[in-house]
Amino acid sequence: MSLLSNLEFFVVEALRGIRRSGLMSFVAIGIVIISLTVFGMFLIFMANLGNIVSYMGSRLDIVAYVEKDLNADSAQVLEVAISQIPGVEKVAYVPKDEAWKSFREEFGAKLDLKDVIAENPLPNAFSIKVRTPELLPQVAESVAKFSDVSEVRYSGKLMKQIQTLVDAVRIGGAILSLLLFFATLLIVVNTIRLTVLARETDIYIMQLVGATNSFVRWPFVIEGVIMGVLGGFFGILILKFSYEAVIIRIKSALPFLPIVMDSNILTFIYLSVGISGMLLGMLGGYISVSRILKEKE
Amino acid sequence: MIELKHVSKIYPNGVEALLDVNLHIGKEEFVFIVGPSGAGKTTLMRLLYREELPSNGQVIVDRVNVTELDSDQVPYLRRNIGVVFQDYKLLSRRTVYENVAFALQVTGAPRSQIRRHTMQALELVSMLKRSSSFPEELSGGEKQRICIARAIVNNPPVLLADEPTGNLDPQTTYEIMELLDKINRRNTTLITATHNKSIVDMMKRRVVQLESGRIIRDQQLGTYSNS
Repeated sequence: MSLLSNLEFFVVEALRGIRRSGLMSFVAIGIVIISLTVFGMFLIFMANLGNIVSYMGSRLDIVAYVEKDLNADSAQVLEVAISQIPGVEKVAYVPKDEAWKSFREEFGAKLDLKDVIAENPLPNAFSIKVRTPELLPQVAESVAKFSDVSEVRYSGKLMKQIQTLVDAVRIGGAILSLLLFFATLLIVVNTIRLTVLARETDIYIMQLVGATNSFVRWPFVIEGVIMGVLGGFFGILILKFSYEAVIIRIKSALPFLPIVMDSNILTFIYLSVGISGMLLGMLGGYISVSRILKEKE
Repeated sequence: MIELKHVSKIYPNGVEALLDVNLHIGKEEFVFIVGPSGAGKTTLMRLLYREELPSNGQVIVDRVNVTELDSDQVPYLRRNIGVVFQDYKLLSRRTVYENVAFALQVTGAPRSQIRRHTMQALELVSMLKRSSSFPEELSGGEKQRICIARAIVNNPPVLLADEPTGNLDPQTTYEIMELLDKINRRNTTLITATHNKSIVDMMKRRVVQLESGRIIRDQQLGTYSNS
C-alpha cells in the first residue's frame, strides 16, 4: 500500500501520459522554460540591484573638507566635536596625501594623473559615517556650522531616489513574477487536463475497480513534476550561460559596477528556479486531475 | 449478502427508476434481474457498487451499509464487488494482461501477487494465450472474458453483470453464461441483469422481475416470463 511500492506504476503511467499528449507536452515544457527563465532573470536583476544599492550605501558618508591652514591639534578637537553630533557613527580623519593616493589608485589606472595635475589639489578632510541615510541632511548641516569646515558634501538625495526606484522595481517585479507564475500554472493545468480528459475512461475504470482518489491523482502529479523539472532544468541552463556571457561583456565595459558573481547567490537563484518549476508542475497536475475527480462525485 | 430495504431512486429529471424495492440475496446465490429496458435493472446494479445513491431506503452489501458509506470508503467497497459490462469497458491502449492486472495495481498489491492472480484469472476465462494482445484484436466474446477476468481478479465475494451478453451471438452468449456459472460455483454471489429470455430459461435460477421500477416477481428456479 505504500507509495514506494506503487511508485514504479505511477512513473510509468506519468511517462505514458506525457508521450500520449506529445506536442502539447512539448508546448507546456517550452512555456515553463520561458516563464522560469524570465523569473530567473528577474531574480538575478534584483540581486544585482541590491548589490549596487548596498555598495553605494556602504560608501554613504559626509565628507567635510577643512580649511587648508588647520593644524593637527585643532583638527583633533574638531574630530571629537563632530563625533558628538547625534546620529554620527564614525569619524575618520583623511589627510590630503592619503586622499590623493586612494583617488589615484581608484582612477589612476585609466590615466596618469601626474601628467595632468602636478600637485595634490585636495584639502585635508573628515569622512563621517551616519547611522542611517535619513540622518545625512541634519548631520551635514551641523557639521557645516563649524568655522574650520570649509565645505560639506554628501550624496543623500541621490541615495534616496535610488532607494525609491529600487523599491518600485522590487514591487513591480514581485507582481510580475506572481502573474507569470499564475499564467504558467494555467497553461500547465490546461495541458495536463487535456491528457486527463483523454484518460477519462481510464480514471472511471480505476475508480470502478477500487482505486482511491489519491491513487488516481499520483500519476498526474508526477507527470506535472516531470514537466516542471524539465522546464526548470532547461531554464537554469539558459540563465547560466546567458548570464555568464553578459557578465563578461559588462565587466569589460563597466569595470566599476559591482556585478553579482557570488556562486552562493547564483546557486540560490538557480535552485529557486528549479524548485519553482517543480512546484508549478506539481500544482498543475494536482489541480487538473482534482477537477475531474470532483466532477465525478 | 445483499439487502435492499424500501429502496427508491428518483432521478433529478423526475424519472422514477426504482420504487420501494425490497430484496434479499444470500451468499453465493445466482440471481437474474429481468425486465424490459427502462425497468430499473441497471439502476439497481449501480446502487450496489455506489455509482448511484438511492433517494430513499438502505442498500447493504456484505454487511456494509452502502447508503451511509463515506465517499473515501467507496474504493474499498468496490474492491469487494466485481462488475461486468455490456460494453466491456476495457482500456484500448493496454494489453489483455495489463487490463486485468490494472484492477490489482490500484489496490497496491505487490508485483509478484499481481502476476500470479492475473495469470490465474486469465486461465479461468481461458484467455492466457491472448495475454499480450490488445482489446481491438479480440472478438466480442473474448473481450467479455477479459472484462470478467478483471472483475474477479481480486476474488470479490460479489460479481455484478449488467447485460453481459447484450452484444454477443447465441453461441458466445452460452459460453459466457457457462463461465459466469463456473465463477458462481467458486463461492461468488452473482447478479446478472439481462433481457435475454433464452439464457434465463436455460439456466433455471432465481429470477427477480422488474417493471417500471417495482419488483413484480421473485421466483426460485424461474424462467424469464411468468408461466
